Amino acid sequence: MEGVAIIGAGQTTYGDFPNKGIKELFAEAYFEMVQSVDYGFEPQMLHSAYIGSLSTGSGFQLGQMAPLLMGHVGLPHVNAVRIENACASGGFAIYNAACAIASGKFDLVLAAGVEKMRDVSSNKGRYWLGVSGDTEYERLAGSTFAGIYALMAARYMHEYGLKREHLSMVAIKNHRHAVANPKAQFRKAITMEQALNGVPVAHPFNVWDCSPTSDGAAAVLLCRAGMAKNFTSKPVYLRGFGAASDYLAIHDRDSITSLAATSKASAEAYKQAGIGPRDIDFAEVHDCFTIAEILAYGDLGFCEQGRAQYLLEEGITQLGGKLPVNASGGLKAKGHPIGATGCGMACEIFKQLRDEAKEDTRQIKNARLALSHNVGGSGGTAAVFIYERGGQ
Amino acid sequence: MGAHISIPMYQRAVSQKYRMLAQKCLHCGKVNFPPKAVCKYCLTGSKFEHIQLSGRGKIYSHTIIAGGGAPPEFAAEASCKGSYPVVLVELEEGPKVIAQLVNPLDREISVGMPVTAVFRKIYEEEGVIRYGFKFMPAPVS
Ligand SMILES: [Zn+2]
Repeated sequence: MEGVAIIGAGQTTYGDFPNKGIKELFAEAYFEMVQSVDYGFEPQMLHSAYIGSLSTGSGFQLGQMAPLLMGHVGLPHVNAVRIENACASGGFAIYNAACAIASGKFDLVLAAGVEKMRDVSSNKGRYWLGVSGDTEYERLAGSTFAGIYALMAARYMHEYGLKREHLSMVAIKNHRHAVANPKAQFRKAITMEQALNGVPVAHPFNVWDCSPTSDGAAAVLLCRAGMAKNFTSKPVYLRGFGAASDYLAIHDRDSITSLAATSKASAEAYKQAGIGPRDIDFAEVHDCFTIAEILAYGDLGFCEQGRAQYLLEEGITQLGGKLPVNASGGLKAKGHPIGATGCGMACEIFKQLRDEAKEDTRQIKNARLALSHNVGGSGGTAAVFIYERGGQ
Repeated sequence: MGAHISIPMYQRAVSQKYRMLAQKCLHCGKVNFPPKAVCKYCLTGSKFEHIQLSGRGKIYSHTIIAGGGAPPEFAAEASCKGSYPVVLVELEEGPKVIAQLVNPLDREISVGMPVTAVFRKIYEEEGVIRYGFKFMPAPVS
């Protein structure tokens, strides 16, 4: 199997951009990625492109979105395909790109993601945000996407004594991290009082427990590891990549205080990288709701199952702690343009491992190994990646 | 648009939604609901006998959907009631199901609370009332 390296990465700022559609968002991320390749690269050398998106521009381009976007940036003849696994679409774009290179078939592959969420009316938004679970049974019970994660949170509280305040600790931490991140949607710290008293969404969640709707795009350039130094002296190697699925509906799962797809995907990634969770220096994890970050701690092996609240209490996962999680601000505060999210995590890690998170308070020092974790919907799919610093 | 559930699609699930018809696996004996082509417990059995669920179970987890965030089918109900509880129930026969909780008691909804299924209007769309099951707190015996 060929090794895989990341040699370029770019992303838009996440947020509300009424003047930009999916083509403009994609192009912005793509050209920032091109600029980031230290010795430059010839775009026509690209062999293949995987582009993650759920709504394909608020549902306006349901078919063949990938060639539409590639044609927009002057690459009409590159083999291009859309990847859809809900909120994990971007992660699965990287996973497919990495597998394509590992197979030896391709040398140079683009993985990208894009989502345009802020165009739709809130009623239409409710429709398609609720479509990534088991629509027929979950939504027709009157539940929302937040409601499904709320069921997980209430059960976690019951089984493990998690307190409402622990959920808010995730939101407070990630909002604080986002303050220095120029790409983040919400660069504003919040207090415990605010975090506990937001507008109710789905008990125990209020609005501060939920990631926002966002416009955004991200693009990552991957190549065969042996070629990486032709493009940069500071590649980031993808040492492990794992992906897995689970029953889509939470009523079909044995446990709702753990995402089996995350556990299986991370086991695959750790095994390939030949490391364990203790070796990870920092991580970007999928915190679409505050409980999701708490579940991730256990499922990724950062703590024993059911003990995530102690990592929060001890400050281990905040910037400056032993294992910073979501230094970017996470989905919670950096934003969550669904299809772009998994690729945006890779952009953040690419920057951090090259010491290019220029804002002083943000840069994680002396990190060698990082992990990203991207979940589809309420855990129907998950992808996990392990990255290693290549330069000095 | 979006994930609209058509009338024919709803009709195809009437035996689950009206009568809680489940499948008992002839290979391992466990009960699947909603139906699967292959048993979700033994991942082997593909032959089943139909059984009707009792509708009795215990709350496994719970939430309260706030009005502003309700799915579009329930927006009118939510704006009228303000919010409504949704529960994940573990049934006597083993399967878990998600549904709304009606007639909640004064005390807080909690894990382990016994409930029983009732036949109710779920929502109305395209001029057709869609019926199905909800849960209510089990009568104290
Ligand atoms: Zn069976």
